[in-house]
Amino acid sequence: MATLREIELRLKSVRNIEKITKSMKMIASTKLAKAQRAMQNAKTYGQANSGLQKRSSPSGGKKLFVVVSSDRGLCGGIHSSVTKQARRLIADGNQDARVVVLGDKSKSQLVRLAPDNLLLTFNQIGKDVPTFADAAVIADYITKSGAEFDSINIVYNRFVSAISYEAAVVEVANEDALREAPNFKQYEMEEDEFSIANAIYASLMEGHAAEISSKRNAMDNASKNAGDMIGTLQMKYNRGRQAAITNELVDIITGASAL
Amino acid sequence: MSAYWRPFFSFNKYSQISARALRNSLKESERLAAEKRGLTGLRYQKWEGGQGGQQTWIDPPESTGSAAKSA
Repeated sequence: MATLREIELRLKSVRNIEKITKSMKMIASTKLAKAQRAMQNAKTYGQANSGLQKRSSPSGGKKLFVVVSSDRGLCGGIHSSVTKQARRLIADGNQDARVVVLGDKSKSQLVRLAPDNLLLTFNQIGKDVPTFADAAVIADYITKSGAEFDSINIVYNRFVSAISYEAAVVEVANEDALREAPNFKQYEMEEDEFSIANAIYASLMEGHAAEISSKRNAMDNASKNAGDMIGTLQMKYNRGRQAAITNELVDIITGASAL
Repeated sequence: MSAYWRPFFSFNKYSQISARALRNSLKESERLAAEKRGLTGLRYQKWEGGQGGQQTWIDPPESTGSAAKSA
């Protein structure tokens, strides 16, 4: 049983931690509303692309993976969920696929797992709501990089609800692959890079919303745990204090009775 | 007037240019809100054989004295 002084110090530090995590949770809750609204607007961009994919059903081939995460920590299992999914896909027959990583957290994980597959990495993501300009620039660099691929697979966190997310993959076929697809005659499209930018924009937005909701939940759990710890520590402290007082009383009384 | 810009740049670039023109033509209050949607603050890094290249800003920020991260 630790001394009273130690328990008091611990109590103070856990109280501070609880204040910090509570305020982080508040911030994340307010950001979540805005991010969710922006995500709903961005979904229409992605839907146009996925409709095209479904109807023309191009065959697979050489893949390029785009892993969407962010730079910030303390947001639950967001980054590892995306990294795990990407690693599974790479090991599943795509060992020589190139990977573009958005976000430092996933980058540091993937550098350890698959360093030779990396093509490009971007950071400064997650500070603010992503813009289409970000997605356009990323698509620009991907096409300019000269890497060969038949389709781009974007690995991101799909926003299932305010308390859950899951890793998902969205596919964007390359121009040539689409042209050979059976039902493509129904469509008239020449813009390869624009469809990539669309899909990246939709997944960036959804990943951002998923990250904020996961951060909110993580901070909520942390505050609850901190609150529980404060409760038990407080009990310990009170018991220790009372024991000390009782001991002093016993000393005084035995001392008095000995006189 | 059909796509005379095709040989010079992609549709992506074309839509960005026209978006910028549209934003500049808005009323002042709306323009400030729309300006934010056209900004990009990313940095990129090329990788070859497991080695990362230099981190470079796509759109360098003009602020002086802010130490840029390097990895």
